[in-house]
Amino acid sequence: MASVTATDDRPAIEVSHLTKRYGTVTAVRDLTFTVEPGVVTGFLGPNGAGKTTTMRMLTGLVTPTSGTATIAGRPYGQLRNPSRTVGAVFDASAFHPGHTARDHLRVYAAMGGYPDSRADDLLSLLGLTEAADRRTGTFSTGMRQRLNLATALLGDPRVLLLDEPSNGLDPEGMLWLRGFLRRLAGEGRTVLVSSHVLSEIQQLVDDVVVIRRGELVAAGPWSRLAGPPAVLVLSPDADRLAAVLRGSRPDGDPPRVDATGDGRLRVHGLDAAGVADLAAAHQVPVHELVTETTSLEQLFLHLTTERTAS
Amino acid sequence: MHHLIKAEFRRLFATRVGAGLLLAAVLFGGGLMGAMALVGPENFDPPMPGLDTEAGLRAILGMLGYTAFVPAAVGALAVTSEYRHRTAAVTFLFAPRRWQVLVAKLTTYGVAGLAYGLVLAGTAATALFTVAAVRGISLGLPAGDVLALLARIGLAMVVYLLIGVGVGALLRNQVVAVCVVIGYLYLGEPLLMMIPGVNALYPVLPGGATAALTDFTYLADAMSQEVGSTAVRLLPPAAGALLLTGYALAASLIAIVLPMRRDIT
Ligand SMILES: Nc1ncnc2c1ncn2[C@@H]1O[C@H](COP(=O)(O)OP(=O)(O)O)[C@@H](O)[C@H]1O
Ligand SMILES: [Mg+2]
Repeated sequence: MASVTATDDRPAIEVSHLTKRYGTVTAVRDLTFTVEPGVVTGFLGPNGAGKTTTMRMLTGLVTPTSGTATIAGRPYGQLRNPSRTVGAVFDASAFHPGHTARDHLRVYAAMGGYPDSRADDLLSLLGLTEAADRRTGTFSTGMRQRLNLATALLGDPRVLLLDEPSNGLDPEGMLWLRGFLRRLAGEGRTVLVSSHVLSEIQQLVDDVVVIRRGELVAAGPWSRLAGPPAVLVLSPDADRLAAVLRGSRPDGDPPRVDATGDGRLRVHGLDAAGVADLAAAHQVPVHELVTETTSLEQLFLHLTTERTAS
Repeated sequence: MHHLIKAEFRRLFATRVGAGLLLAAVLFGGGLMGAMALVGPENFDPPMPGLDTEAGLRAILGMLGYTAFVPAAVGALAVTSEYRHRTAAVTFLFAPRRWQVLVAKLTTYGVAGLAYGLVLAGTAATALFTVAAVRGISLGLPAGDVLALLARIGLAMVVYLLIGVGVGALLRNQVVAVCVVIGYLYLGEPLLMMIPGVNALYPVLPGGATAALTDFTYLADAMSQEVGSTAVRLLPPAAGALLLTGYALAASLIAIVLPMRRDIT
């Protein structure tokens, strides 16, 4: 993999006090965050939050009004052969419809100074060998997605930026993408994936950066931001169920059980299966059992609905 | 830099544009010249001097200059295609020093324009000499002079291709850019010639400068007679060549400077 030794101690992606104004619209406002290698980071926010603008500033396509955005410690334009360090995908389809997949990759292989064999390697890595000589105008969404990724990976970059890659993908395509990106992150690469639909990427990401109206809302590991999962349980014999649950020792510590009235309990430190199993073992009837949405989901839902309401 | 030029040549020949450009050169060069020579300018409506006179020969050679909208349209098409198909972002990701991309494009299309011009002039010369021999006409100029005039027209095509690239980089919208280029060269300039007063500008416009290369005043004269204005006086051929070079440089400069800091959104 490519490496820039002099700057290896810097975060792979570093955005600092970044602002972009388009006339009177402030698309990104004083945004600061970093992205770590070896994990997949989700870049979340409702439509119009400024995700695309931020990623375009990171890659030099859009000039910031103020602030800095660096990759491997340098602004994009100062990377020596940027496609060796960074691969980025912005548009669902960025090919001449009259070019074949192989033509397209060879144009960019030439541009990056890579041998033509690299184009064939990537066609095979992304399962496009069969379609190599078809004009891209005939490609399905899934194939376009793969050809975009192939283009971005021509230079074997250690940083990958994908803007809304899940748009238009069917569940099968999503599953494939998840596996593919996990593998890239597993190789130690930095992967930043934007989305306006939390549920589409929550199984994919390790870390998240959440923005709204161009400003940072939350950033950090998913597990911390999502908060400990809670289970809501309804029982006609809530007191006895609470005693049973408190008496258990799933991880050495007893779960925290709060009675919320009406025979309902909120349980932290034990999942739904654990609650159900204990209730069954002690023959306590259970009428309802729900895993509560995580706090990040609630936060995101709030952001999205607030946006639609305004 | 040579990586970028190699990439642009691949881009050009991966579509049908490259082959189409050469086909157009053959059609407009050999085809048009052959047809005009076969019919004979003396049989045009209105009739023009024949091929055995210098004026007649210059006139039909000058007609070739009116096919300049082809390379110009190709130049505009090529540059705007990157915006239309959203490959501009990918291209600038691979080459963030955008001026280098545009220099590579100008080099590539300059070479393509040269190829167009050479094929145009070569097939036109072949057609002209063949038809003249078959019809038994002795041309109004020595063969060397005919070839020199055709070579000038061929070289002018490089300029037009670069003008197309400049207009494309300026306008970015493919349909608009191609329409503007064709509309101006095909309709705009001839119309300008018909407006009294404004037609004084014609000698310094690209069409006038191209006509100066071959001292092709036939159309301009016909128009000024039609509208009763004073005859247009073209620049001397060398000044026309210099002016065309100036247009090419200006168009190239626009193509290089404009995309430099513009946001690609
Ligand atoms: N080229 C532009 N000109 C004017 N406003 C823009 C432009 N690009 C984006 N915006 C505005 O900036 C804001 C952020 O847009 P964007 O970065 O596309 O958000 P997201 O990708 O999160 O949906 C939006 O309000 C959008 O309308
Ligand atoms: Mg977006």
